[in-house]
Amino acid sequence: MTERLPSIELAIGNSADIVTARHAAREMSNQLGFGKAHQTRLATAVSELTRNVIQYAGTGHCMIEDLSDARERVVQITIEDHGPGIADLILAMEDGFSTSNGLGAGLPGTRRLVDDFHISSSPGMTRVIITVRKPA
Amino acid sequence: MSLSLPTFLQARREAMLAEWIEASPGADAETSVSLSTEARNRQMEILFDEIMAPLLVDPPTDFLPGPEEQASLQEHLQAMVTEQARHAANATDPIALLFVLRQVLLDHLAQWPQASAETLAEDTARLTRYFDQITLFTFDSVIRQRDRQISEQSMSLMELSTPVLRLWHQILLLPLVGIIDTGRARQVTDHLLEAIARHEARVTVIDLTGVPIIDTSVAQHIMKTIDAARLLGSRVVLTGISPEGAQTLTKLGIRFGDVTCRASLRAGIAEALLLTGKCIASMEDSGR
Repeated sequence: MTERLPSIELAIGNSADIVTARHAAREMSNQLGFGKAHQTRLATAVSELTRNVIQYAGTGHCMIEDLSDARERVVQITIEDHGPGIADLILAMEDGFSTSNGLGAGLPGTRRLVDDFHISSSPGMTRVIITVRKPA
Repeated sequence: MSLSLPTFLQARREAMLAEWIEASPGADAETSVSLSTEARNRQMEILFDEIMAPLLVDPPTDFLPGPEEQASLQEHLQAMVTEQARHAANATDPIALLFVLRQVLLDHLAQWPQASAETLAEDTARLTRYFDQITLFTFDSVIRQRDRQISEQSMSLMELSTPVLRLWHQILLLPLVGIIDTGRARQVTDHLLEAIARHEARVTVIDLTGVPIIDTSVAQHIMKTIDAARLLGSRVVLTGISPEGAQTLTKLGIRFGDVTCRASLRAGIAEALLLTGKCIASMEDSGR
C-alpha cells in the first residue's frame, strides 16, 4: 500500500475558487486511478456544492482527502460553510425544489453523482461530505 | 564644530542621489520604452526627496512616519510601481530599487563625522524600520497593480471568447469556451440574440466542446440562452457534450428536453444544413 496523497484544503470565496476546487478534486481522483467518467462526476459534484456555498453563504471551506486503504481507492470531500443553513433538508433534497429560482437539481443531483453523500445543516454550520470509491 | 545628521544628509543629497541612480536595477538596461533616462531620473529624484523628507527634520525624530501618514510619498511610490510594471520588469524591481537606496543611505550614515557606535546602531535601526514600512507599502502596491492587470486581462479575454460566427446563410455557430458564469452567460446571450436578429438565423449551433464542466448552473444558463434564441425564431442544435458530460448530466437530473443534440460539431453542422434544406455533397454527385 503506497502512501496516501496529501490532503488539500481550500478557502471558497469567489467563483475562481470553484474552478480551483473542482480542478483539485479531478486531479486527485485522476492520480488515484479513477476513470474519466468518475473524475467528471466528482468535479461536477464539487462544482455544485462550492457554488452553493458562494450563492447562499458567501464563503466556506473545501477539504479534499485521500482515504484509500488496501481494499479500495477513496476520495472524500468535505465542504463547509457558516451561512444561514438549509431550513428544510428533506425539501432541499427533492428534485425541482429551489429557493433561488434555480433548477433545483443541485443537491439531489449531486447525491446521485457520488457514492456517499452526507449533509447536515443548522444556522451557522452546513456541512456536506461526499465520497467516491472504487476497488483498488 | 558639530554637524547634525539632517544637515549632513542634506549636504550629501547630490552624491546619494547619483549613487542610487547609478546602482539601481535597470539603470543600464535599454528599457526606456516609455520613459527617457532623463524622465526616469527626474522621477527617481522626486521619489528620493519624498523618502528623504522625514530624515531631514532637524532635530531628528525618534519615529519616522510611514507611508500611511505621507500621502505624497504614497503617490510617488505608486507612480514608480506603475512605471516599473509598464516596463514588464520583474515584480521585485521596485523593491530592489528601495533596497539599493537603503544601502546607499546606510553607507553615508556611517560616514557621518559625529557617528559613534551607539548613534550608528540607533540610526541604522531607525532607518531600517522606516524602509521596512516603505517596502511593505510598495509590495502591496505591486500586488494591487498585478491584480488590476489580471482583472483587466480577464475582461478582455471575456470579450474575445464569445464570438458568434456566421457559418452559412441563416446558420450561426456559437462556440462556448471556458467558464460560464452569470456575467459570461448574459454577455453570450446578448451577442447571440443580436446576431440572430441581424442575420435572420434559422438555426444556431451551440458547441460545448470547450466547456470543461457542465453543472446545474451552467446548464441553466445554456437553457435560458436556448429559450431566448427560440423566441427569435432560431432553432438550436447543441453539440460537443462529452460522453462523461452526458452521463453526469443525466445523473444530475438535467434534461435538455426537446433540444436537438449532436455528439460532434461535424454532425451538428450537417443537422443545421438539413434544417435549412441544404446539404454538403461531393461534386461528382451533383451531376456536372
